[in-house]
Amino acid sequence: MASESNGQPIVSVKGLTKVFKDFWGRPKARAVDNVDFEVRRGEVFGLLGPNGSGKSTTVKMLLGLLYPTRGHIEVFGHSPRHVKTKSLIGYLPEESYLYRFLDSRETLDFFGNLFDLPPGQLKKRNEQLLEMVGLNQVRTRVVGEFSKGMQRRIGLAQALINDPDLVILDEPTAGLDPIGCREVKDLILALARRGKTVILSSHLLSDVEDVCNRVVIYYGGKIQAMGTLKELLAKPDAVRITTPPLPRETMEKVLRIIRQDIADAKIEIDNPTQNLESYFLEVVRKAKASLAETSGATSGSKVAAYLRGEAEAAPVSEQLLERLTVASAKAPELAPAPEPAEKVDVAKLQSLSRASEPPPTPAPAPAKPQEPPPADLSKANEKLSSLLGGKPGD
Amino acid sequence: MAALLLVAVVGLPLLLKDDGTAKGLAQILLTYTLSSITALLGFFTLWLGCGSLAREVEDCQIQMVAVKPIARWQVWFGKWLGILALNALLLAISGAAVFSMLMLRAGRLPAAQREILRSEVLVARGSARPPMKDLNDQIRRAIQGRLASVHRELSTEDKIAIQNQVMAAVIATNEGVGQMETHEWKFDLGGAASAARNQPMQLRVKFHTSSYNEEATYDTQWLIGPPDSPRSREVDQTLPQDSFQEFDIPSDEISDDGTLTVSFRNPNALPVQFSMEDGIEVLYRETSFGVNFCRGLGVILCWLGFMAAIGLAAGSFLSFPVAAFTSLGVLAMAMFSNTLKSVVENGTIMGWDSAESKWGHSPIDLFVVPLFKAALTVVNLATTFSPVDYLSSGRSITWLDLGLAIAQIVLLLGGVFGILGVILFTRRELAASQTQS
Repeated sequence: MASESNGQPIVSVKGLTKVFKDFWGRPKARAVDNVDFEVRRGEVFGLLGPNGSGKSTTVKMLLGLLYPTRGHIEVFGHSPRHVKTKSLIGYLPEESYLYRFLDSRETLDFFGNLFDLPPGQLKKRNEQLLEMVGLNQVRTRVVGEFSKGMQRRIGLAQALINDPDLVILDEPTAGLDPIGCREVKDLILALARRGKTVILSSHLLSDVEDVCNRVVIYYGGKIQAMGTLKELLAKPDAVRITTPPLPRETMEKVLRIIRQDIADAKIEIDNPTQNLESYFLEVVRKAKASLAETSGATSGSKVAAYLRGEAEAAPVSEQLLERLTVASAKAPELAPAPEPAEKVDVAKLQSLSRASEPPPTPAPAPAKPQEPPPADLSKANEKLSSLLGGKPGD
Repeated sequence: MAALLLVAVVGLPLLLKDDGTAKGLAQILLTYTLSSITALLGFFTLWLGCGSLAREVEDCQIQMVAVKPIARWQVWFGKWLGILALNALLLAISGAAVFSMLMLRAGRLPAAQREILRSEVLVARGSARPPMKDLNDQIRRAIQGRLASVHRELSTEDKIAIQNQVMAAVIATNEGVGQMETHEWKFDLGGAASAARNQPMQLRVKFHTSSYNEEATYDTQWLIGPPDSPRSREVDQTLPQDSFQEFDIPSDEISDDGTLTVSFRNPNALPVQFSMEDGIEVLYRETSFGVNFCRGLGVILCWLGFMAAIGLAAGSFLSFPVAAFTSLGVLAMAMFSNTLKSVVENGTIMGWDSAESKWGHSPIDLFVVPLFKAALTVVNLATTFSPVDYLSSGRSITWLDLGLAIAQIVLLLGGVFGILGVILFTRRELAASQTQS
């Protein structure tokens, strides 16, 4: 997940409303309705919502391409129409609106010149960006001949040509293969690490989940939910514990303890699965390592140096671990052996467990004889067997 | 576009038939080729101007530029400059090609005609006219006298008719030269006198008579130089009426103060009338044809810049097809300037009513006539300059003319459309059409 912001608002939206009118000035559609939010420096801010919910309209008002009917917008303390402020912004639209008859190099030259970049610096950045987005081999091909994914890549490159402080990305991973998606997410995280602010609008919820600090969910032009992912996604009524494979006896002990408090029907046991993206990337990595040839797109190299800044990127897995573990603890490396109970975060455990209830005492004598159906246990035993590698159950 | 220009610039000069004279060749070739080039580039410029902005807004490419640190007026002005630069290049290439084709065709003329081409045709001739007399007081007194002599109540239409007749009579008195009468004009050549002395010089005249015989010709007797000077020379010409005629006159009779005196004696049985505006002028060699040709192309470029401004202004707020038709409508207004002039002069949009023998009137005249007058004023600002006519007749387009063209056409007229276009473009929501679709 992106690094925490320093609190200074870069984008401030208050009471924002946009009503589209017809030729006669009659209201036709209320695309955005009284929206308030702030985006702070260093944040990766997600805009989510179904089609027609007002996300793109909001983005366009932030960029000065549409004018609010009511409300107030400030970007870097100025109106969105303030010309000099635009030198701090990079924008990747949902569709490719590039000039079809320019090639990649000419496209980056054209947009780079709009920022008055010195020629030497512009040339250097162009090289780095084309390398980063994997379009080095096709730099002389005109943009009109690009596939959708390639157009997204060159669009991303032009959005970053000026090393912007605020990057607005509208569906950045649309049309990209999983490798490209991964690279874009790495890039977003690299930008956030450097203190850049990113506003991301996407339908791909997994991408948003991987990179965003805070999200806002639109529906019908209004904000329906806003907050950090932790706040919005945490399920307070369940706990998941993941361990390496355990011996059968240990597993049975654990289950017995858990069953003292929780009914069997509410317990789920299975093998955790890695997500498809990780599996895919691993397969491709192995194939690359064995030098398997491809006639399709190649992946780009790492993030361009001027965008990367000084710090090297930590692997994404580390990023995920950071998000999932307690922030204050510098998470130690996972020990091969299970940690002793004393190392468990007692405070967290208490917050997750039902601390107010006294530990249930075993029923002295049930009024009716408790007859756990034998079939349930045998099912559990079968499942246990499969988890332990197919040992026959008792 | 390139193919059409090629046809105009190369094909036409090869296909056109001339009359075998140097003047005829130059006139026909320059008129047709320059007119074709102006029309083609004009239409192309309007189309490009409309499409350049309107299409980019519709295709949303303009959004990629608008989110960069560049002001909307810079975008608009940049596009105008780009179109102008493209036109300048095409005009330069076309002009060079026309000049080359003229030389190529001239090579087929007889030697004598080639010499005339070099010395009399492919030159730039300045023009001197006699000062215009202010007849307003004379006309006013004559009208007052005439109205006072009428001892009955006159309707407004009758008063207007009397005024027009009196005005025409006063003007005719000042412009006309009766039978066996002599009229004298003085032409002030100013600073050009010394350069014009002993160089080829022509007198360009157009006169009218009361005869309706278009085939008739009239004797004219000219005296070049002060009448009391022994060195003054006589030039006799037989000329038709109602058309511009040029003939050579000696240029060594220019006096020391730069004045050339020309006298006309009318030996005909009818009076002849020389219009004060364009009835007579002296043409003298001012500069080379090459410089003049470049200045002429400069005036054409001013027109193209104006058309680019019209197209871009329309494209700033209209969709491409609507912008294109609107721009063509504005252009058509210039082409129908004679109609505008007629409406303004007659004070009505209605035609001549033969039954009542007067001009018809309509309530919409209250609105239409002032509108047409304003439109005519605007159109005249642009059409005052006729570089094609001047170049084809060897007339000089002075630096002052070029400066006025830049000021009137580009800065004033183009500036008005430019300001309008920038305001509309700045206020436009560039993502509106995309969002609503």
